[in-house]
Amino acid sequence: MRGQEELVRRLALKRRRRLGTMSEEAYAELELAVRDNPTHFVDDAQEEAFALVAQALVELEANQHDDDLLDDQQYLEQREKRLAKLGATCQQALQIDEHCIDAALLLALSKDLSPNDMVGSLVELERQSVEREGAVTATVAGDAWTNVFARPLLRLHNAVARYCLCTTRYDQARKRSIDLLAKAPLDALGASLTCALAMARLEDEEGFYWLEGQEGHRGNAWFHLGRAILLYKLGRMPAARRALGGYDRLCTAGAYVLLQPVFVDTYLPDRPAFLAQSFSETVLAVHEADPIISDIPDFAAWACDQPGFLFSAQEYARQNGMEWRDWNE
Amino acid sequence: MAYDPQREDYQRLGLRFATSLDGMDARQATRSFATFGRRFAQQRDSLPQSDADRAFHLVAMATKLIDYQLPFADDDQAKVLVATGHKLLDEAIALDAHCYDAIRMKSASEMTSFESFLDYLHDRDPEVKAHCKEQQRRFVSNSYGERARLYADLTMRPYVRWVSTQAEHALICGRNKEALSLAYACLELDVHDFADARFTAALAFAKLEDEAGFDALEARLKALGTVRPANDPWALIARLCLCFKAFDHFGTEHWLKEILGSFPRAAEALIRQIELPVGVFARLATLPYSEDELILAISEATVLLQEGVDPMGKGTLSTWLYNEVSQRNPEALLAVMAEQRDKQGGQEA
Repeated sequence: MRGQEELVRRLALKRRRRLGTMSEEAYAELELAVRDNPTHFVDDAQEEAFALVAQALVELEANQHDDDLLDDQQYLEQREKRLAKLGATCQQALQIDEHCIDAALLLALSKDLSPNDMVGSLVELERQSVEREGAVTATVAGDAWTNVFARPLLRLHNAVARYCLCTTRYDQARKRSIDLLAKAPLDALGASLTCALAMARLEDEEGFYWLEGQEGHRGNAWFHLGRAILLYKLGRMPAARRALGGYDRLCTAGAYVLLQPVFVDTYLPDRPAFLAQSFSETVLAVHEADPIISDIPDFAAWACDQPGFLFSAQEYARQNGMEWRDWNE
Repeated sequence: MAYDPQREDYQRLGLRFATSLDGMDARQATRSFATFGRRFAQQRDSLPQSDADRAFHLVAMATKLIDYQLPFADDDQAKVLVATGHKLLDEAIALDAHCYDAIRMKSASEMTSFESFLDYLHDRDPEVKAHCKEQQRRFVSNSYGERARLYADLTMRPYVRWVSTQAEHALICGRNKEALSLAYACLELDVHDFADARFTAALAFAKLEDEAGFDALEARLKALGTVRPANDPWALIARLCLCFKAFDHFGTEHWLKEILGSFPRAAEALIRQIELPVGVFARLATLPYSEDELILAISEATVLLQEGVDPMGKGTLSTWLYNEVSQRNPEALLAVMAEQRDKQGGQEA
């Protein structure tokens, strides 16, 4: 979530609404002024609360830079402190504006509940928010995401869909992602990624190919991995083999990440930004697919047996100085 | 209903014996048949039987050791049971190269993964099917009425078991659609569903979150009227799971109460969630609506329970059930904990 960016947009739009009609150039000037000093333009409780959340996210990111240098114990302590601080700020924000969805979402996430309890509280938050604000609809321009004031609820929908996926509610994850895609077809939140995994797990071949078509067959780690899983589950082994080969070739470190688990922390509040075809992309996709892969007990062993796959993983580790643990030890 | 190999052994010899009495006058035949039970138990060799019948008898003996005694044996006993069981299976195959039950059981232990076993069963499926069909044709064409019906059933059973084992393993491998189509194939082969393939289907429908498909299967079976009502623990667990996945709290509550109320010591079973080894001959035979039946269904439903991210590492539904049932039945939780303490104490002593 790019909180600061959104804050600037929100403040500028609200100010324009108060000032009345304004030329595009004048609005651009206004936005620059807001960017320089957002606090100056905050003049209601909603934006005050949102500004707190946006600031908390900036600090959270700044604090994460040295994580790689910490040992496990230190990391866990740091993490706990960070989450507690985030939670406290969110509570503060909610005291200013009790309906600040992002604050409520981040507060829930900061509590580190079990995914099942988490999805329960997020669904409840979603229900209350929709009841209060009405459902988000696609705008005239076609994508609800362009309305910056609709984003908090869209983010919440997206978080619910992801937690549905990791608590085995695949049909819910699928339905909710499709709904989100209808509202925001440009898919800034990556609902299609959650959807692709849900469809692979449900062996929904038709849905999966439809979704790929919607995405213009651009492909990414979620789709490449999802296709290999889907075809494996359907027992179409030659096709599954080709899909796995594609995943290995097209996703950076695909084989390595599949065979060597990489820790990914809770998303706060949504999937971290990643570059296309980066190591991070593969790590996030495999992390999200993990419960689905665990449900196919022989998948990893099968992948290892495919010519070149294990070699590709080990080669990646060697070339990049990464640790290699024998996966079946 | 489940397959009982001892009973099947008895049926096979009984049928052959009855066939051998053809041509005798009624009184003589009745007198002869009256001795069958005693001879089956004490002088088995004096009864007419083929090598295939002898081989099946060895399969029945091996099943008793591997499926019914092994899970309760300690390590030393287990080695003996496994060795003896395998020897019996080897002898069965030596007697009858088409003893597919023995072949299947033997290969189950030789495979390195669920998937390789599934592939193996799949590859030999046409051969098993052709053999059983041929046997069926041969025996049925020489008999009529009830006897023909029984022959038709008994000769196809090894193949139905072959297919239902494939269905069970497809489910374990995460190939849920394949599991479903195999379960349906079993139902086509046997309307009475002796293999209880519909139990596997129930779990696969829950995995695929296909409530409409599950409803359709239940409606079809109800219309046929050849199987018991769909209140077996597999169906109840699948229903509960479907509601849980759909955030249907009332439904989840309803099915949980249904399970807790339908089986003795259900709360304990739901807290323990024991995982049993899969029956190698077939799904273990348990009494309908018994505690054992629920324990068996919970074990098979591991694929539903132990899925999803969960801090306990046990799976979303597994942890939810454990917490929910423990809260409602604290005395059951205490009983299970005491049980586990005793077991640990026993192991340490």
